[in-house]
Amino acid sequence: MKLAYLASALTITSSLLAAGSPALAQEKTLVVSEWGFSNEALEEHLYKPFEEKHGVKIVRETGNNPDRLNKLQIRGGVDVIFLTDAFSQVGLDAGAFAKIDRSKIPNLADVYEIARAPQGEDAGPAFTVGRYGIIYDADAVKEPITSWKDLWRSDLADRIALPGFNTSSGPLTVIIAGERVGADAFKDADAAFASLAEMKPNVVKTYTSGSELVNLFSTGEVVVGALQDFAIPAIQAAVPSAKWVPLEEGNWGIFSTANIAAKSENQDLAHAFINWRLDPEVQRNLNITTGDAAINAKTELKAEEVKYAAHGAEQIGALRKPDYQALNAAKADWERRWNEIFGN
Amino acid sequence: MNRKWLPLLLTVPALALILFLLIYPVGDTLAESFLPLDQGWQRYVAFFSEPYNRTVILRTIKIATITTVLSLVFGFIAALFITRCPAKYRTPLLILSVFPLLTGAVVRAFAWMIILGRKGLLNNLLLNLGIVDQPVPMLFTSFSLVTGLVYLFTPLAILSLVGVLDGIEKDVLDASSSLGANPLGVFTQVILPLAVPGLIVGGVLIFTGSLAAFATARLLGGDRQAIMPTQLYEKAMVSSDWNTAGIIATVMVLVTLVAILAMGKLARRFNPATGG
Repeated sequence: MKLAYLASALTITSSLLAAGSPALAQEKTLVVSEWGFSNEALEEHLYKPFEEKHGVKIVRETGNNPDRLNKLQIRGGVDVIFLTDAFSQVGLDAGAFAKIDRSKIPNLADVYEIARAPQGEDAGPAFTVGRYGIIYDADAVKEPITSWKDLWRSDLADRIALPGFNTSSGPLTVIIAGERVGADAFKDADAAFASLAEMKPNVVKTYTSGSELVNLFSTGEVVVGALQDFAIPAIQAAVPSAKWVPLEEGNWGIFSTANIAAKSENQDLAHAFINWRLDPEVQRNLNITTGDAAINAKTELKAEEVKYAAHGAEQIGALRKPDYQALNAAKADWERRWNEIFGN
Repeated sequence: MNRKWLPLLLTVPALALILFLLIYPVGDTLAESFLPLDQGWQRYVAFFSEPYNRTVILRTIKIATITTVLSLVFGFIAALFITRCPAKYRTPLLILSVFPLLTGAVVRAFAWMIILGRKGLLNNLLLNLGIVDQPVPMLFTSFSLVTGLVYLFTPLAILSLVGVLDGIEKDVLDASSSLGANPLGVFTQVILPLAVPGLIVGGVLIFTGSLAAFATARLLGGDRQAIMPTQLYEKAMVSSDWNTAGIIATVMVLVTLVAILAMGKLARRFNPATGG
């Protein structure tokens, strides 16, 4: 008898739950998958104004690049996804994203050329760009660092941190190692990795997150780091003598792209949201508050507002961009070679 | 209803839970690494023909073994000391010795980063005493990894040994002395064999624990000391290479099973209560 009560209670509960969901779904929602940093600034300048303008509720899904890309592919339920370029290329190659209709993103006309379609016309545009470069503690490193080649200097033995292979910037280090010996890493991986192996005595640790690098700097474990510019302020806060320097060979750009999930049922709204992220005023506000470099030519920023981000047509136009498809194709082989060097 | 079946019937909910939440996911992970059979086989061949993968497996087993032995030695000494203390000190000592268990693995690994770092306590001491003139690289080596793991698992060894050692009657020790055993003989022929059950339980816990100690390996080891759990994470969560992740998971399960079976066998051999 008791079992019967339990069964009927369960039936009622489950039917209530089932009835509850359509009621919840009545409000239109747009699911945006992003990293989960600078929450307040994004809420104020990006999400809230968009919600008010379009009468929509934005649901944020946060996490690191691969986690979120995995979720989008396996589980779905995402409309717009922000990823760094290496990972959006993985999604593109897997056919996880919808074709972008550029006519629905009018702000693209004002975006610097390099950021407009970094991964092809069908793929999502970049909305900001970070630089991969070098920071070093000028108090601890006597001879200034001016080139990527300086990472191989013998006076830096056991003093360097590199991004791990499976980060946005990891594979770029392989290209850099190849260029040092005049080799194209895509054509002559042997030479590039032989060059990389020569750097090994200098490398204390390969790190997987910006905060890990900040820790390595603040505890004095390393005095030189190859990094993306978003980590500069945290490192300089910990080590005031840390210096970000322009490099002879130029900096590599790490583009953050916005793509629309192939399965998204809100394609128009998703396009509108990407357009909004590229709006000159949004670009300006987010550069000031979060340090995301503005890539809209109409965005006006004073020098002190730019802070450490790349700025202006000249600086951003000069950034180097790898061949993402070739890079993804080479990844498995490169990872194996990388592990042979740094995993032993 | 037949009374005989009732107890069995009552275990059904719990069994169903275990089946769906434990057996099924683990079985599915293992099966997927093998299926379809021809491809699965090729994947395993490819995985094991990679020297780096073999290095990581051997390194994991080596580090887990060293950690187990060291933790048991330290745990044995501590447990012996605790059981020999006057009764009123035993409980406080036991609580103190397992105190580190109250903080998480991450916090404990961080503590060692501060001690073993380039500008850490240990290097400062060595530099100030003039023993070295350059900081010794200790962090992100197998030394720092094993240190962190031993610190992590020694409390477990103490816990599993205190009960066993406490259960050895003083009369037994007195008897063996009076029959002519010297202190070393008492230790090797009486105390140690009687402590085998505790050593086995502790050994299994520590070995399987250090085989899977992801956070400690990540923080104190890094790339150069990559072990199976860190490699598994990389494959599953970063490269989305679920096939290789499944293979690593299978290898980890196998290593754990072999270790448990081997230790069980050892226990039967050395335990005076069960073996010969």
